[in-house]
Amino acid sequence: MLNNFRRLLSKTSVVFIGFIIIIPMFFGFLGFFLPSFNYLPILEKGEFGLNYFYISMNIPGIYKSILLSIFTGLVSTVFALFFSQVILLYFFKTKFYSYIKIIISPLIALPHITMAIGLIFLLSPSGLLLRSVSPWLTGFDRPPNSYIFPDEYGFFLILGLMLKEIPFLILVSLSALREFSSTTFYNLGKSFQHSSFSTWFILIFPMIYKKIRLVVFIIIAFSSSVVDMSLLLAPSTPSTLSVRILQIFQSSEIDSFFIASNLSLIQLLIIIFLLIFWIILEKIIKLKYFYIYLIKITSFKSEFLKFTILCFGISLFLLSFMGIICSILWGLSENWYFPNFFPINLNVDSFLSFYNQNKSLISISIFIPLVVSLLSTTLIIIWVELLDYLNIKKTQFEWIIFIPLFIPQISFLIGLQSFIIFFDYNSFLIPLIAVQLFYVIPYCFIILAPAIREVKSEYIKVASSLGKNRIERLFKIKFPLVLPSLLTSFAVGMIVSFSLYVPVYFIGAGRVTTLTVEALNLALSGSKQDLGIATFFQILFPTLLLITIALINRKLMKWKI
Amino acid sequence: MLLKLTNNLAKTFLKCLFFCVFFILSPYSNAAEKSNDWEIETSKVSGQTIFFHAWGGAKNINSYIKWASNEVKKRHNITVKHVKISDTANVVARILSEKNVKKDNNGAVDLVWINGENFSVMKKNNMLLSGNWIKDLPNSKYLDFENNQSLLNDFGVPTEGMEMPWGVSQLNFYYDSKYLKSPPRSASELKEYIIKNKGRFTFPQPPDFTGTSFLKQILIELIDDKSLLKTRYVNNKHKKALSPLWKWLDQTTPYLWREGKNYPTNYLALTELVAEREIDIGMAFNIAHASNAISEGKLPNTVRSYIHKDGTLANVHFLAIPYNSSRKTASKIFINFLVSPEAQLKKQDKNFWGDPSVVSIAKLEKAWKNKFAMLPRGIATLSNEELTMKLEEPHPSWVKVIEEGWIERYGSNN
Repeated sequence: MLNNFRRLLSKTSVVFIGFIIIIPMFFGFLGFFLPSFNYLPILEKGEFGLNYFYISMNIPGIYKSILLSIFTGLVSTVFALFFSQVILLYFFKTKFYSYIKIIISPLIALPHITMAIGLIFLLSPSGLLLRSVSPWLTGFDRPPNSYIFPDEYGFFLILGLMLKEIPFLILVSLSALREFSSTTFYNLGKSFQHSSFSTWFILIFPMIYKKIRLVVFIIIAFSSSVVDMSLLLAPSTPSTLSVRILQIFQSSEIDSFFIASNLSLIQLLIIIFLLIFWIILEKIIKLKYFYIYLIKITSFKSEFLKFTILCFGISLFLLSFMGIICSILWGLSENWYFPNFFPINLNVDSFLSFYNQNKSLISISIFIPLVVSLLSTTLIIIWVELLDYLNIKKTQFEWIIFIPLFIPQISFLIGLQSFIIFFDYNSFLIPLIAVQLFYVIPYCFIILAPAIREVKSEYIKVASSLGKNRIERLFKIKFPLVLPSLLTSFAVGMIVSFSLYVPVYFIGAGRVTTLTVEALNLALSGSKQDLGIATFFQILFPTLLLITIALINRKLMKWKI
Repeated sequence: MLLKLTNNLAKTFLKCLFFCVFFILSPYSNAAEKSNDWEIETSKVSGQTIFFHAWGGAKNINSYIKWASNEVKKRHNITVKHVKISDTANVVARILSEKNVKKDNNGAVDLVWINGENFSVMKKNNMLLSGNWIKDLPNSKYLDFENNQSLLNDFGVPTEGMEMPWGVSQLNFYYDSKYLKSPPRSASELKEYIIKNKGRFTFPQPPDFTGTSFLKQILIELIDDKSLLKTRYVNNKHKKALSPLWKWLDQTTPYLWREGKNYPTNYLALTELVAEREIDIGMAFNIAHASNAISEGKLPNTVRSYIHKDGTLANVHFLAIPYNSSRKTASKIFINFLVSPEAQLKKQDKNFWGDPSVVSIAKLEKAWKNKFAMLPRGIATLSNEELTMKLEEPHPSWVKVIEEGWIERYGSNN
């Protein structure tokens, strides 16, 4: 009887947790889907129609915006995938291989916008790169006007996206490499007299790709609809589709909501189109003839080419680190005008005053990720345990968890926002935390769920034979075993939450705001010193978090030995 | 039908769900509060919190608002939270969507810093607290409404007491006198200058407030019949009137900074470009902007301001209360403080904001008169005499046409 009740309770909880994710998603979708067909009964619009498609398509320059989104999304993904593999392949079997993870971790932890700001500090006409050669080499005593940044084709946006995605792809590839006997494959390829390049792309890459396919899809969806980076790095006449949606949504007319919803739907269609295109691309590459052709073109052994690609890959890394250093330097500087390579005065006063004026901003920027990540991790543990208890083996439907990563953030939030206003709920923090959960849970899930599920059943059996119940087993056996993954998942959750821009912008509605949103505002209003300081704090938080987690993990390792 | 039903069902269900999950957890939700009638009974609103939505891009303005918030906290125990927005149109959009879903009280916005186009939209859609409430505020006696019509007209639209004047702005330009001896002082001189100095001039990208204002300035200088701008824009009647502006832009755009393919976001981004000498001339609506920037170390101290020979756009900016604010009385108390001689003096002080006061010096008590007279003027701030040439804002209906026309011609084809 009790047992039955327990099972019923567990089943209800599974459904409940499922609903927590699905229902807001459903409404977020309806919230932009229905208005884009002119349907919103509240505003006395009750008839479906295609008129807004017509209006959307007649917005000046909208095709250019759409093309720009497609182009930047696709090209950045292809390049990021390529360079992540090239970097891995040249470091594979060298002594640096084991350090790669340490080098890339901080880069992964930084918010996208921090990377974009770094690029601006470095590459803009008055940036550090040009200062370093002026005026002694270039003769410029003032920034040149022919230098185009951001460029009109979105190359800088592509560069920015690549800098963020390459480390991420390397990280997931690294864990994929551990899951099969990659060294054996590599040696096998070499023994057939293949170059390391072709060995990698013919033997090893397909194995990696199988495991990171989902991640690649997520990256495509993300980069073709990114808002914060586009605002900083994309051209502005016109900008990418996601920025256009934001601009139209912000204008003060009733119709603008419907047009923005309609464009949101188009943004979603673009992502679907890109994913289908990508799948077709996969099919073509898999074709036998094409594959043979691929073997031929990749079997070159040109040292020069190898050197060039490698140099390019490494300079991408340097670019990231230089950008970070620039941000900090600018925060410390005073009266730092072109073409001085180094600020005349350095002081920390503005750091202190920024800290004093923004204490609450900083604490809320840490508080939200803390709560969100804690909730996500807890929900995932409950979810996995419940499924285990109910003996539900079919975890196929868990892909639902990843849907939020495929719906463009801006579309989803435009849809959800109108519902939240309708609920008349007078808090901004709680809905914000709820919405952030969608974006944080998937990443925590990728790390944590497999770890819990991989705990050897023998341990559990032994524990239960010793009379330990489920809760005791969870806390005394499973947690200690998965603690490193648990901590990593928690840290990743915090980092993802920390760097979210669009949810805070829409749901926080200015009342709840975070460092990421403030940094973007500062980047657009031009004060380089304040921006540098805000960026410094943005770098500080993830770095401290990473170091803490690393130290704890090291300590745990010691216990084990 | 079915859709509507499921929609409603789902809504109800979700509402319950949200309620269950979050209400219990939330210490942040506050009970709905009916708005009070206007009384100067500050004790009634003691302890309340108001959300003041105001553009938050400039540090000096933010600090000023912070100072004023601290003062009303001390005096009336009212907490003012400054919601730093990037564009007032967003606030209008938010209140509009609240109005659409019939959220008629407890709106997100209690007080908004506003003027021009945004005011005209809010007034047209009945989104503002009406009833000429500004006259009820004790400190409105310091404003000279009888003789200064600009305090009751926002871009030519009568305010009907729905918004309280807060400050006076005038478009002004600045340049570094170390490198530039005589800056161009009219639209046509500016055109020559731009063409001669390729890549050294730009303006914030419309629909940014300053960017659009710059376009209006050029239009006013070039249009044949200035009286047209006072009337509502009618497409087939007035389209031609805009052509001098488009012609001017056609000629200059290729010679702008980044060949007119990119524009800075707002006037502060422009300051940075002038400081780095990427461009030669900057512009702002705050007459003390250049002086402020110099004292903050953001511009070299050789920078000076100027205006065009025929004058530049001048306008008043206001404070308004949305119709669905739940803190109307507390907002009024804050507004009353903001127009007090004390707050206005501080606002005009170049070390704080440098924004000219709306209070009439003649109406002040002697002690305040002296204090205003003693205020130092910034090194790069023009004197009142130099700022006498003022141009009136066109009717707000022109704003949309100019913005949309610019976006279509120059903002979306590159």
